[in-house]
Amino acid sequence: MMGKRRVTLVLAALAAIGSPPLSATAGEPAWSEKAIKERIDPASLVGMIAGLQLENLAEEGRDLFEARFTTLDGAGRPNATQAIVPTAPRRPAEFAFQRLAGPDANACSSCHNEPVTGGAGGFVANAFVSEGFESANFDTLDAQFSNERGTNHLFGAGLIELLAREMSADLAGLRRAALRQARDAGEPVRAGLSSKGVDFGRITALPDGSVDLTELSGVDDDLVVRPFTQKGVMTSLRQFTVNAMNQHHGMQADERWGTRWTGMADFDGDAHEAELGTGEISALVAFQATLAPPREETPDDEAWAEAASRGRTIFAGLGCESCHRPALPLKSLAFEDPGPVDMAGTLRRGDVEAPATYDLATLEWAKRLPRNDKGEVMVPLFGDLKRHRIADSRTPELGNETLAQRFVERDVFVTAEALGPRRHGALRPPRRHHDAGRGDPRPRG
Amino acid sequence: MPGRAEGCATGADVGLPAKLARPFLHILASLLLTIPALAEDTAPKPFAGDIPILHEEAAAAGIDHSYGGPWEFFVGGGGAAFDCNDDRFPDVFLAGGKGEGAFYANRSRAGGRLSFEKVPQDLDPKDLQNVTGAYPLDIDQDGRQDLVLSRVGGNILLKGLPECRFEKANFPWNFDGGRAWTTAFSAIFEPGATYPTLAFGNYVDRAAPGSPWGTCADNVLIRPKKAGDGSETKGGAAEAGRPDYSEPFALSPGYCALSMLFTDWNRSGEPSLRITNDRQYYRGGEEQLWRVEPGRAPRPYRKADGWQHLSIWGMGIAEGDVDNDGYPDYALTSMGDTKLQFLDREFEDAPTYRDEAYQRGATAHRPYVHDAGKPSTGWHAGFADFNNDTALDLFIAKGNVEAMPDFAAYDPDNLLMGGFDGNFTEVGEEAGIALPTKGRGALIADFNLDGAADLLVVNRGQKASLFRNLGGKAGFGTRPLGNFVKVKLAQTGANRDAIGAKLAVKIGAKTLNRTIRVGGGHASGISGFVHVGLGTAERAEIRVQWPDGEWSHPYRVFADNFVLIDRGADAARYWYPDADRPEPPEPAVTARSGASAETVADP
Repeated sequence: MMGKRRVTLVLAALAAIGSPPLSATAGEPAWSEKAIKERIDPASLVGMIAGLQLENLAEEGRDLFEARFTTLDGAGRPNATQAIVPTAPRRPAEFAFQRLAGPDANACSSCHNEPVTGGAGGFVANAFVSEGFESANFDTLDAQFSNERGTNHLFGAGLIELLAREMSADLAGLRRAALRQARDAGEPVRAGLSSKGVDFGRITALPDGSVDLTELSGVDDDLVVRPFTQKGVMTSLRQFTVNAMNQHHGMQADERWGTRWTGMADFDGDAHEAELGTGEISALVAFQATLAPPREETPDDEAWAEAASRGRTIFAGLGCESCHRPALPLKSLAFEDPGPVDMAGTLRRGDVEAPATYDLATLEWAKRLPRNDKGEVMVPLFGDLKRHRIADSRTPELGNETLAQRFVERDVFVTAEALGPRRHGALRPPRRHHDAGRGDPRPRG
Repeated sequence: MPGRAEGCATGADVGLPAKLARPFLHILASLLLTIPALAEDTAPKPFAGDIPILHEEAAAAGIDHSYGGPWEFFVGGGGAAFDCNDDRFPDVFLAGGKGEGAFYANRSRAGGRLSFEKVPQDLDPKDLQNVTGAYPLDIDQDGRQDLVLSRVGGNILLKGLPECRFEKANFPWNFDGGRAWTTAFSAIFEPGATYPTLAFGNYVDRAAPGSPWGTCADNVLIRPKKAGDGSETKGGAAEAGRPDYSEPFALSPGYCALSMLFTDWNRSGEPSLRITNDRQYYRGGEEQLWRVEPGRAPRPYRKADGWQHLSIWGMGIAEGDVDNDGYPDYALTSMGDTKLQFLDREFEDAPTYRDEAYQRGATAHRPYVHDAGKPSTGWHAGFADFNNDTALDLFIAKGNVEAMPDFAAYDPDNLLMGGFDGNFTEVGEEAGIALPTKGRGALIADFNLDGAADLLVVNRGQKASLFRNLGGKAGFGTRPLGNFVKVKLAQTGANRDAIGAKLAVKIGAKTLNRTIRVGGGHASGISGFVHVGLGTAERAEIRVQWPDGEWSHPYRVFADNFVLIDRGADAARYWYPDADRPEPPEPAVTARSGASAETVADP
């Protein structure tokens, strides 16, 4: 009997090796753990994409967001660091999986999962932000090498990006107007920078066409509002996605690590070319951009409702709303992908013949969004998309990072949107202001 | 063997028994099958990065200019790109050879089609004739670019005035242009000097017995006199606060220079003068490198110093840090060859160079289209990042001297794209510059300030070509190139434009190096913003090593911007082209380029 069974097993194994049974859809064996079984044709992502079509695209994105990438897909990056600019280490990475320098996860949803996919992550899912050293990856938690950060949720991220795009356009328009005025008048013009009621300081336009930026506040020198990450250093969901797929999974998007920018089809040296095409990144963007924003709800329980109401009053009374704006107005729900302010290395409008436009207004949750008397959507973000210095010599404990990131000083952060999945039920005071330094088990949320 | 069919011999043919012949046949067949594969492996790979589309639109842009004349004007044919009306858009002067040189004010809008308007001058027309080349330079340090005209029979310094007007300044600046046939120029500010030191490269001394063979004229170095050094007459130019170039120094021997460049080859802070010479006329000559130490007479580097004998038909010099090691590398154009020289660091502090043009695919020795088996003739050379991918590319202007039968008649300009592996790939045809012109000098400048390097080529006996960089070739047309930053340095006191300063632009783990210099190329010079392609980097840190050797702190800048760095300033200032410039006049449609210009959308 044993002998017969062994023969059967051997035959089955040989059958598997010889001519694998293929899944009906993608030519992969039925047991294949390959996450990307079919590529998404970027040519199909053109023009207005709305309603069910958008939901279907977002579902494809969700599949990728939840996919567990393995070496079959090209996960891992033995010859690339986590740096956002393609960077090769001087020697192959020592570890295929590295908690600090990454790759540190095989699925987006491994961390972004509270309370559902696309959400925040628990303490165990904290990420580490550091430079992409070309010479070494340090296996240490020492804060001089990396900043430990909580996993952000992505609910309402499409609306956040749209707000940032409109604000960036406003600021660029104000700069242009000030420059025109200074050129016409032949003298410096000091102009305030404000968009959607958020004050970004002042610029002084000089008649020679240059701009003095010393009075700028809370926004980068190029006046692009970068709404994502705790530092506010990421321009778009697309840029964030391209960066994160490399850092956390070693899945390299062609639009940054492909031959166009590196001269190599397999920059990370894992024997997989073109790991992520523009179609896959677009689907991931569509998934994140279509995630419904958190809503403010009145609890059924009277005591909770009363507490929430009182908390809201205190929240306003303390001046929290000066930064944590309950809502900002948004003119359009048309989410263009690629977006208008990305730079080379993230797909740009000009890189495609025609961009896709995701009409968020056709999604069910969008119909419930409050609008103001101008018909603008009031995005309930409890934030201002502006960076603030949250620590100084009097309150040094609030600055628990030791590394600056992309020109943003260590104690400067973008206002966290105070509504989030870990705060469901009622508003809580912004956690950032209650962090107690590096020893606090709750890094910046 | 007569009567026998030609072709591959089989085993049976050579008398092998059938049994032995069969495996032999198998081996032969497999060998034959592998030959195409081998050929494929050795075939040059297409360039993987963006190929810039360079759209010729000289006529539509209002540039209507030719360089011509007899034998003296077989060489030269350059121009200058610089801002002469304070709008920071590069304006242009083009040498005319026997005919008049011409000034063009740039009327392009940022990101728009190119447009130029001829600017008449209140100068003696004869002074604008016989010009071989031009280099912009603020000689009198008044904040305006002046212009050095190299000529056949007397060089001229033009003082820049507002609105692209110029006046001759030879007399007030005590400059005797001489009578030589000048074909090269370079300048540098020496330590402590108020005004620049000028170097002129001369070609054949036509008056010497036996001319032209072996009769190369000496080159000339002119240091500005200092006020109060006792060497000048009371009330002279220096004492009056003007440059005084009354004491030329002969750099002898001269070997028929066609390009020269002050270059800090060893990063010592003391630039030397590199000269490329035309072996067509010299006897016993070679390429030259002169030590130019402050307060001392220039001395040539010799074999004992590590300078190696090299004899080429030297036409142009380009300097760039191709391998990003901080040391300048050089491209030298010639006939049937291009040299790509890297400092051989095995020899300590010696100007010993390795030629890596062959290994890196940059010899550009024959035409890449219409190749009739004859060698090319190279003239201007310039490094620039035409696709903003961070790697330096190399442009070479090409063209038959006049009608030399042994050299290619159809000799298109080269655009050699630098790859990330350090090698170069020719894309001139795909880019659109493979024209049957006789290129000479060239100006690589961003004429419409859209962040992409454009190109103007001065052609001998033909109209100048003006190419607008539309972006990278894409299936649907063109797409934007990589990120960029443009940098303009300024300092107070002498050397306001920081000539000789070095820029170290750090993106991620890579540092891109640039140097502000005056000279080189072929009879052509540019000034203004320094262009740096940043690839996918969104941010860059710029450190400046000012001409006196002092390093700045890092300036943090965002990509796709024009930045002004004033010495000592805490932060760089961002500068924006005037978005409200009037739309330039519609071009007159011409058979040559008007029709195609209409079909090209602004990028």
